[in-house]
Amino acid sequence: MTDGGDVPGRSNDTTEPPNERADGGASDTADQFRRVDDQSPPDLAEPRPSTIQTPRSGLDEETLKEYTTERRSLDSTVQIQWALRTTISAIILGLIASAILAALDVDPVFGTIAVGLFLFLGVVWVMLRYRVWVYQIRDDSVYLERGVVTNVRTIVPYVRVQHVDTSRGPVERALGLSTLVVYTAGSRGADVSIPGLKPEEARDLQQRLKKLAIEAEGDDAL
Amino acid sequence: MKLDYRSVPYRILENGLRLGGILVFSVFVSSGDGMDILQTGTFLLFGLLLVGSWEAAYVRNYEYRLDADTFDIYSGVFSRREREIPFERIQNVDIAQNVIQRALGIAELRLETAGGGDGSEASLRYVSRQEATRLQELISRRKSGETAERDPGATDDILFELDNRELGILGVTSANVRLLGLLSGLFLIASPIAAEQVSPRLEILLVLGPALAVAALVALWMLSGVQAVLRYYGFRLLRHDEELRYKRGLLQQYDGTIPLSKIQTLMIRENLLARAVGYGSLAIETAGYAPGQDSNVEAAVPIAKRDRVFELARTIEDIGEPEFTRPPKRARLRYVARYTIVVGVITGLLGGYQYLTGNLSFWYAGAALWLLVPPAAHLKWVNIGYYTDDNYVITRSGFWTRRTTIVPYYRVQTVSSSQTVFQRRRDLATLVVDTATSGSFWGGDAVALDIDVETADRLREEIHDEFHESIIERKRQRDGRKPAGPRRPSSAED
Repeated sequence: MTDGGDVPGRSNDTTEPPNERADGGASDTADQFRRVDDQSPPDLAEPRPSTIQTPRSGLDEETLKEYTTERRSLDSTVQIQWALRTTISAIILGLIASAILAALDVDPVFGTIAVGLFLFLGVVWVMLRYRVWVYQIRDDSVYLERGVVTNVRTIVPYVRVQHVDTSRGPVERALGLSTLVVYTAGSRGADVSIPGLKPEEARDLQQRLKKLAIEAEGDDAL
Repeated sequence: MKLDYRSVPYRILENGLRLGGILVFSVFVSSGDGMDILQTGTFLLFGLLLVGSWEAAYVRNYEYRLDADTFDIYSGVFSRREREIPFERIQNVDIAQNVIQRALGIAELRLETAGGGDGSEASLRYVSRQEATRLQELISRRKSGETAERDPGATDDILFELDNRELGILGVTSANVRLLGLLSGLFLIASPIAAEQVSPRLEILLVLGPALAVAALVALWMLSGVQAVLRYYGFRLLRHDEELRYKRGLLQQYDGTIPLSKIQTLMIRENLLARAVGYGSLAIETAGYAPGQDSNVEAAVPIAKRDRVFELARTIEDIGEPEFTRPPKRARLRYVARYTIVVGVITGLLGGYQYLTGNLSFWYAGAALWLLVPPAAHLKWVNIGYYTDDNYVITRSGFWTRRTTIVPYYRVQTVSSSQTVFQRRRDLATLVVDTATSGSFWGGDAVALDIDVETADRLREEIHDEFHESIIERKRQRDGRKPAGPRRPSSAED
């Protein structure tokens, strides 16, 4: 996986024909992002009609179009990152369950079964989580969809973005991944993060969001 | 300018007591070694001297200055700190004074900004009372960009004043109803069981248990009532130019400011007792207070008739007459299911207890709790609602304490809708409108519970659109008659 220094310009990543879809990690040019199948309600996926009475951004329509994205899913490698985490917690949970079972004089085989069950559930959860995760850079906001047990769909308007971070933990570095964190001044969802991005993609998004936030029309919230 | 010299003795008292306690304790612990009175005395004197010189040095090294646009603080004995707080960023300016401080004529002045972190951004401990009032006034003048002194003839409009009757009602209704309800329920169920456990022969315990429980409840109730009365004694809410000012407290006196331009959300709270007599309270939330701070929600009106509360809310935010939309009826079924599960778990636990110990023969009586489920589900459902208009999103929920949250669109931070697995079964979703309030547990977020999933998705997009409209509108108003548009020629410079 090339952790290439070539930060892609905001060139042809949205002007590509829609049928060009990257398959897994086969291609590592950052321009080819995966699009999400249109299984979601189309009215949300479609870009907002451009007949907005008042401009919400200081950028012209052309530039906006370059900056915004389709509904994208995360890099599939993120499943490995999540799987590692769930495996560890499954083993810990399984050990606890085994200890309890041992204390209750039950056959230790059940402990192994418990570990297996937790692992299975973990794998299912990881796969579902990956399938559910969607983000989109709209012309006035960041849109996120995530969560298996509780599915959350969040809109973060650019006007409210305080700052944007990219962060990389040790596991993420090993897997060549990066996380983008968007901060707002809100109380509950004060920071929203998009995990499982290629480093160059994260940096690209960070630059775009920075630009969009600077150009967004409005006052500060406080 | 320096702190008031009288704060040295107070600070010594404040910290000396703490230190003295530790010393006395340690002396007691080590008394086996034959430490005599003289040694103890020397020890204490030494400690006191240490505290005294430290406090004197602290007060001497603490300096504050009012610059053109910032409030500067220079502090620290060993490690110096310089802090500049821009006036326009200051959210609240509070003055607090307890009984001893009042006797000494000193007060604590606290400045709050929206920045995170624990505690206040600046707290001057302590300045003289006059100086505190002067600073409070000066900061509010500087904040609104005026440098001239305030017209001495200008008077404050009294928006609300708590009279004795209302203070009484506040005392009676301020109990934590949910806790009281829970406790009394628990006592009623648990005490006969406990009585039987202790000695089935002593029938008197059956009576004594609930009697004790009732006594404890009444004591708890009275305690919280007294606390509320002390806290809100002499409450007055004034309008002072572009600020709201409130004064309250009997022993610990507070004098706080809430700039109208910094108000994030309003919250009307009516607990069960207050609702029964037609009263409620109004809280104003700003971004100033850090989570977990003792007074993180400022009660603008601790208690008043419901109509009066709404009237006051309308003087701050023009909300009109909100007509709440209730969640669909299937949401109520969801609560029935939820509470049924709870009852099932309780009964199961009782059954398990019987299985293990064998002395809870009527464990299945727990299932009788289910009789409470339909009314409980209905009460929860009936108190939930949301309302949106051109300027506000208003949500309401809660049976024990009904909270009505009023959020102007231009205060929205993020909008999200969420669906748990249980909600998905019934096509329900929850809409959360996040604002920059303190983020306390009950936060200032407007939450529309269990509305139809399509409505939630639609509202999410609509509120986001309204938010953009409203900030553009506000910007236009502020810029005068200048039409809104791109701030500069839109060339994408790097």
